[in-house]
Amino acid sequence: MRPANCVDLNSVICAIDGRILLDIDRLSIAHGERVAIVGHNGAGKSTLLRLLSGFMCPVHGTAEVLGRSLDRQLTSGELRALRREVGQVMQGLHLVQRLDALENVLIGCLGRRSGWRTWVRRYSPEDLANAGSALRAVGLLAKAAVRVDHLSGGERQKVALARMLMQGPRLILADEPTAALDPQAAAEVCALLSNAAAGSSQSSAATLVTVVHNPLLLPVLADRVIGLKQGRVAFDLPATQVDDSCLHKLYRADTPVGIVEPPQYPDNGFVMSPAAAL
Amino acid sequence: MAAQTLGHPFIGRIGGRAGFFGLTLVYAMLVAVCLGSLGHEGELSLGRNPVANIIKTAGEFARPSLLDVWFGDPNLEYKGDDGTVLRVEDRQAVELKYLAGLGNATWTTIRIATLGSLLGALLALPLAILTARNLAAPTMPAWIAGGVLDTARSIHTLVFGLVLVGIVGLGPTAGILAIALHSMGTYGKLFAESIETLDLAAIDAVRGVGAGPAQVFFNAVWPAVLPQFVSNHLYIWEYNIRDSTILGLIGAGGLGLLITEATSLFQWGRLSTVLMVVIALVVSFDALSRRIRGALI
Repeated sequence: MRPANCVDLNSVICAIDGRILLDIDRLSIAHGERVAIVGHNGAGKSTLLRLLSGFMCPVHGTAEVLGRSLDRQLTSGELRALRREVGQVMQGLHLVQRLDALENVLIGCLGRRSGWRTWVRRYSPEDLANAGSALRAVGLLAKAAVRVDHLSGGERQKVALARMLMQGPRLILADEPTAALDPQAAAEVCALLSNAAAGSSQSSAATLVTVVHNPLLLPVLADRVIGLKQGRVAFDLPATQVDDSCLHKLYRADTPVGIVEPPQYPDNGFVMSPAAAL
Repeated sequence: MAAQTLGHPFIGRIGGRAGFFGLTLVYAMLVAVCLGSLGHEGELSLGRNPVANIIKTAGEFARPSLLDVWFGDPNLEYKGDDGTVLRVEDRQAVELKYLAGLGNATWTTIRIATLGSLLGALLALPLAILTARNLAAPTMPAWIAGGVLDTARSIHTLVFGLVLVGIVGLGPTAGILAIALHSMGTYGKLFAESIETLDLAAIDAVRGVGAGPAQVFFNAVWPAVLPQFVSNHLYIWEYNIRDSTILGLIGAGGLGLLITEATSLFQWGRLSTVLMVVIALVVSFDALSRRIRGALI
């Protein structure tokens, strides 16, 4: 049975060393929805994204992403199958520095390919053509053969976007995709991300979950805004209803603390998947 | 992800300005004790007439046997006490022959160093993967691998060589194995450090598209560590070319044998020639490896 929602969290708690990072009672994101997550540093935004991409398991509660239940029973094969469907555009450096732009984009199709050819970075002409068009879509085809450590910050973020396009995910997670970019590059990246989520004529729209700090980008990237505070959902509103006072309250440091004494969990709760062991 | 604690806990605790001053004081005291005790035991002498000796030795070094190939006496007469000519020697031919032998020995040294380095690198690779902290290998194998690497690094090539001669006999095999075993320790440490500088975000990103372990290794880990591995390899290979010159002592052949011969016969002229070859070898190898490393990084 195909679940109605892309993401379904039920009384989920994520913790490391007994410290609660995320405590979400109920959160659902429908297929094709565009959601922004806001909150100050340490509010659990990145933890939420790690949870949704299968890099973290909840210590309590149930988390379903794209119809797969995230728990420790998930085999490495199932985890890979899930990650294949989840595209990530993260802040900072997350490209393979010594490979050129095209090779980095081709990494996007690794989840669907197997065999020794992928070990020596030999790809089919079809994959190469797709990677080329992904690079063209972000306007970087001319720099396909340039090593990514020679590209500017904005160009790197576009290469990461192209890799995500290559992957063709049903759920897109973007962690501050515009951090460290100048306004023009930030606007371009946002437009590309938004287009990628809207999908092409033959594919349905992908779900887009973005962590953003800049309130000006909210209307571009999201229809719904979720405010996180101390690992909990502080508000969950349509983007049109989010105003300055709402954000101001969220970012203000002196609001009463939600969790006073977090209960201690015996195990560290942070479980790397079997696939994580290299 | 929790921040990794860096450095030794003890050093960490005594850090700061006072800690640094204390460490400097301890070091100064150690040096003073070393100097003072050796001096007290009368072991710091320079011999009876060091100045005359150094001038004599330097003079012989300044006349490398190599020059005799062109300037040597073609009819050097060895005479007995009563003046009769015992033997006539063509110095030029003798030194030419020595040079040919030197060429052979150089080739042997290069072969020993090359094969020994490669073997050492191959042996070190799995151990380095086990000891690299960021890969978080199981504790017990990691501990054993670390112990093996430390042991290998602590034992000098020559000691390995002397032991190995008893096992595989005299010859280049003992030299190759000795170099491999000792440099394995150094390789392991350098490789582990290269692995520890890996960009884990990039690895997570490749894992995040659903790539399997082998795909992650070949697409994210390998491209990042390969240039560093090659650079480490070139560096230790060069070191081993120098190191293998000592292996003549255990009969591994090569330049080391000629050095041993020349020093036991006090032929400083010949030693000078051999050392010139060693220096040329090391310098040219260094220039070459520097260019390769520059192109890679």
